[in-house]
Amino acid sequence: MIIFKSIKWRLQIWYGLILVVVLAGFGFTAYQMDRNRQFRQIDDQLHRRIGVLANALHRPPPRGPDGNGQPFDLPPPGQFPGDGPPLQGDRSLPEFHLLSEDAHFFDASDPHGFYYIINSYDKEIARSTNQPFRTGAGVNPLMLINKIPPQMPNSPKQAQVFSFDNYRETGEMLPSGEMIWVGCSIVPELKELNRTALNLVAVGGLILMVGLAGGRWLVSRAIKPIECISAAAVKISAGNLSQRINVTESESELGRLAAVLNSTFARLEAAFAQQQQFTSDAAHELRTPVSVMLTQTQTALNRERSASEYRETVEVCQRAAQRMRKLIESLLALVRFDAGREVLKRLRFDFSKTAGACAELVKPLAEERNVKIICELSPLEITGDSERLAQVITNLLVNAIQYNKPDGEVRVNLESQNGVAVLTVADTGQGIAAEDLPHVFGRFFRADQSRTGAGNAGLGLAISKAVVEAHGGTIEVASKENVGTTFTVHLPTGV
Amino acid sequence: MRILIVEDEPDLLRSIAQALREEGYAVDTAPDGEDGLYKAENYDYDAIILDVMLPKMDGWEILKRLRKIKKTPVLMLTARDQSRDRVKGLDTGADDYVVKPFDLPELFARLRALIRRSANKTTNVIGIGDMKIDTAARHVFFKDNIVELTAREYALVEFLALHRGEVVTRTQLYEHLFDENESSLSNLLDVHVSNVRKKLGAQFITTRRGHGYCIE
Repeated sequence: MIIFKSIKWRLQIWYGLILVVVLAGFGFTAYQMDRNRQFRQIDDQLHRRIGVLANALHRPPPRGPDGNGQPFDLPPPGQFPGDGPPLQGDRSLPEFHLLSEDAHFFDASDPHGFYYIINSYDKEIARSTNQPFRTGAGVNPLMLINKIPPQMPNSPKQAQVFSFDNYRETGEMLPSGEMIWVGCSIVPELKELNRTALNLVAVGGLILMVGLAGGRWLVSRAIKPIECISAAAVKISAGNLSQRINVTESESELGRLAAVLNSTFARLEAAFAQQQQFTSDAAHELRTPVSVMLTQTQTALNRERSASEYRETVEVCQRAAQRMRKLIESLLALVRFDAGREVLKRLRFDFSKTAGACAELVKPLAEERNVKIICELSPLEITGDSERLAQVITNLLVNAIQYNKPDGEVRVNLESQNGVAVLTVADTGQGIAAEDLPHVFGRFFRADQSRTGAGNAGLGLAISKAVVEAHGGTIEVASKENVGTTFTVHLPTGV
Repeated sequence: MRILIVEDEPDLLRSIAQALREEGYAVDTAPDGEDGLYKAENYDYDAIILDVMLPKMDGWEILKRLRKIKKTPVLMLTARDQSRDRVKGLDTGADDYVVKPFDLPELFARLRALIRRSANKTTNVIGIGDMKIDTAARHVFFKDNIVELTAREYALVEFLALHRGEVVTRTQLYEHLFDENESSLSNLLDVHVSNVRKKLGAQFITTRRGHGYCIE
């Protein structure tokens, strides 16, 4: 079920459950309190009745002042018809006279009140006519009372008040041995309680509804930023990398999440842009040699040519192909360095000898341009890939010669500083403009748009940087226009 | 037709120039931006093939400066094929745009279209009486029969036909039919005109003495 996977719905279900539990708890407590209050009132009433009945017991029948007055020991007519004149049959039976001023305890306001008095021999002394008659399932009040341990000698033994069917009853054993049992119907109270319960359920239901609606609103509000984030993420994953999440509350948890995501998206976009730029530059670099080959071959094939013309065509094509090969090799090397898959040899070698060999290698080019190479190399052993590092030095030297002025010079210096090999290649050339300096190690960077000279794709310094960094070193450039440029390579000598 | 090619890649420059010359165009070349702008400003080319990435001055700059004084049709040649580059090129005043690597036949077709448009012609075929000039196939037909012409002779006929009704001066003809390496002082032009008259009839090209030539 998708509904149970949605946080919104899960939150709401939990919220609803908790609300139901809390409401039920409150409702139950309120109901119980009301019930207890009502029963306590009944119980007090019952106990007062016991007192009245106990007083009525043993009391001589009052006489009216004029002798013809109504005896007061009769409850109101129709209420307790059986009470009538006290039973006089048994001598041992005490007399029972209920005073009329006490009779209101059993008046019309409580037509269901009843009493029942017996002596210690289970002999009935008095009873109200409407005492519910229960046998079998009925309770023997005497037995109940006998079970009660006396709290004090000569004090009445009081039975607990208990509910039975729709009646509330209790009893008391007087020290003289008589037992008074009183009870009353609790039907009206039960009805009242039912009404209270219904009210509570209705109010509770209403609160639950309002609570759920409020909860829904709250959850929606809380979830909304997440939905914004997810919508933005969907757009971004669809390829629109410039999309950002709208951060309104930068301090909230979701605001911080959005900010983090935004910065991730920004980095992603930059990486993609860089990748795109790289690919487009690479394609661009390949386009020119391909164009050369296409135009050259198409022209050559237009008509019959002499052998020397064909030869020239083939030579041009070869140059273009060489250029492409060089470019592809450089690109692949960069890709390997990027992915950390370039395997470097870790051999101990004399860096000064490598540098010297590189200087020898580029000497013909330097002589051609009338540039002097001055080497100051102190012997220094380092651990690393000599071939790759030689490539770096050669690249720096060729640049220094190519961008030098005629009769200029190139100084190559190698020394050890605090256990770090420091190689500097300084030229006396035109220098690099300050705004170009940060891009010098960028891929396909060329200070001059001129790309005459096959293979000069602007990848040399990028590869040099990759090689040096793969050795754990750094490469820096400093330049002053019309004075010269100095490249400095720091390499750890290793153990 | 005289074309200027500004391209810094020497092999490419040479092969395009050779191919165009074989097509019968007079071709001038410039290896960098400064040279390219100088030539473009000082000669009336029928079209310029302009590379974007150039040393000393890039293609955009050349185009911008050239457009202030001339309407020479310019075909931009570039390795950048992104739409914004094309838009920039066309907005700066380029008349067409070819992305490297290109096919020579396409480049030539676009060049022909450029020249045709600048002469306010909409089709490749120019009809003059019984004469038909197919500028795409570079053939001249007389009553549906092909007339054999040399490349230079054809170029002469085509140029005059494209400027039909106008008097074309000898200087103009020299500028458009011969490239920078040929001497314009020779009487080569007269030889070509007389050859064309022999093949297409003496009345085809009229001479306006002291002014130049004209196809009416």
